[in-house]
Amino acid sequence: MKQTKTKIVLICVAAVLLLLFFGAFSVYNGLVEKDEQVTNAWANVQTQYQRRADLVPNLVATVKGYAQHEQATLQGVVDARAKATQLTVSAEDLTPERLSQIEAAQGELSSALGRLLLISEQYPQLRASENFSELQAQLEGTENRITESRRLYNEAVRVYNLSVRRFPGNLFAGMFGFERKASFEAQPDAATAPKVEF
Amino acid sequence: MLKRILIFLIGLACLAIGAKAGGWTPETLPMVHLQDARRYVCNPDGVLSQAATDTVDALLASLERDKGVETVVVAVKHLEGDDPYTFGMELARKYGVGDAEQSTGLIVILATEDRSYQILTGNGLEGTLPDAICRRIQNRVMVPALKRGDWDAAIVGTMQAVDGYVRGDPTLRAQYGEKSDWWGRLGGVVVTLFVLILVAVVASRASARRRCPRCHRLTLRLVCEERIQQGGRTWLRRHWQCRHCKYEETTADRDPPGGGGLHHGTWWPPFIPGGGFGGRGGGGFSGGSFGGGSFGGGGSGGRF
Repeated sequence: MKQTKTKIVLICVAAVLLLLFFGAFSVYNGLVEKDEQVTNAWANVQTQYQRRADLVPNLVATVKGYAQHEQATLQGVVDARAKATQLTVSAEDLTPERLSQIEAAQGELSSALGRLLLISEQYPQLRASENFSELQAQLEGTENRITESRRLYNEAVRVYNLSVRRFPGNLFAGMFGFERKASFEAQPDAATAPKVEF
Repeated sequence: MLKRILIFLIGLACLAIGAKAGGWTPETLPMVHLQDARRYVCNPDGVLSQAATDTVDALLASLERDKGVETVVVAVKHLEGDDPYTFGMELARKYGVGDAEQSTGLIVILATEDRSYQILTGNGLEGTLPDAICRRIQNRVMVPALKRGDWDAAIVGTMQAVDGYVRGDPTLRAQYGEKSDWWGRLGGVVVTLFVLILVAVVASRASARRRCPRCHRLTLRLVCEERIQQGGRTWLRRHWQCRHCKYEETTADRDPPGGGGLHHGTWWPPFIPGGGFGGRGGGGFSGGSFGGGSFGGGGSGGRF
């Protein structure tokens, strides 16, 4: 009788240990999966940035053909592009500082491109060119893709950070070195709506 | 008849909401494809003529059948917020326009009184319809018609041009979105079966243990059982023993035809298979559905 009781206790202990073991497995694998999703989302953001950078030389060449007098603006775009393409970071060492550096460089390219499109309004021949119109559409589409990929990256980071900080996850996160990840902040100029003047 | 009146009333209510808010939102826009699988054009304000709507519906139905491209055309007067891009993206996110595997969704938006238009391509359609091609279609076909105020020609012409580009792409496959759904259903059946078996095992286990009439504990266990033939009938003789007070008894029951070891009116819980058979969205007569495709922000838009 006594022996069976000890046996039952032993089986219970073994079962609990087994459950804990499998629980740890699934929590750890969940963290790995979410980490991988963040990496994917970040790779997508980088792809879209690269896509915009690749469009720039073509755009600059097209504008140059119609507006030779805008050297300063054109050079500004070329410089901003060079600066932005130098900064690429893999998802592993994506610290908040690095992220804000990248954001600043990409933001500079955005505003340089904005200036370029603004001056192009003054050249009717350029505006009428189908080549320019299609390049502009590609640029707009790419800006939209950047926004969308940033949104998806932030969402992936939010899910990941949540599971790193919540209860069963936080035990393993500390043990296996899963750290919180940085996400994009809303751009400073995004808070204010653009002003339209007639 | 009643259904038609109901749909008419719902449509009227949506119209009232839309008019009140000063424009359509992804929430208020009635999605005609969900009510009728053969319709793709949302035309709640009557911007397009019936003939144009029918033409585009027929074109898009064959395009979905042949190339697996799911399209939503929205022709309205006003959009709330006056931002066709955001409207289209939210619509895409809400309904999951496009096949989930190919992600070939397409959204075309025209807001006549906002004087804005937008084409949005799903992730899988960006190669077939790059932004530049969307802009080219708009520049050559859509905008000239829009400037004349000919909404029918703008939409029909645009969709014909899109149809040409999509049909010219040999990599797009015909629709085969049912496969994943089939696996989902199989998974549901397997889970349901598993739960059923589990319940059966637990129930039969519970029946093999009774309350001891002497010490009133749930420790009376089945020690052995045997089938015996007597009087032309099969009887099930069981021997029970209490593990606590060692009380013993022997019972004899009519053997159930199935031969299962059920005893003393085993209780089966009213088991309802939950989930697993979830149908896809849709309602009404022969409602359509969307596959759950994703949009990355590709496409082109502008104002006229």
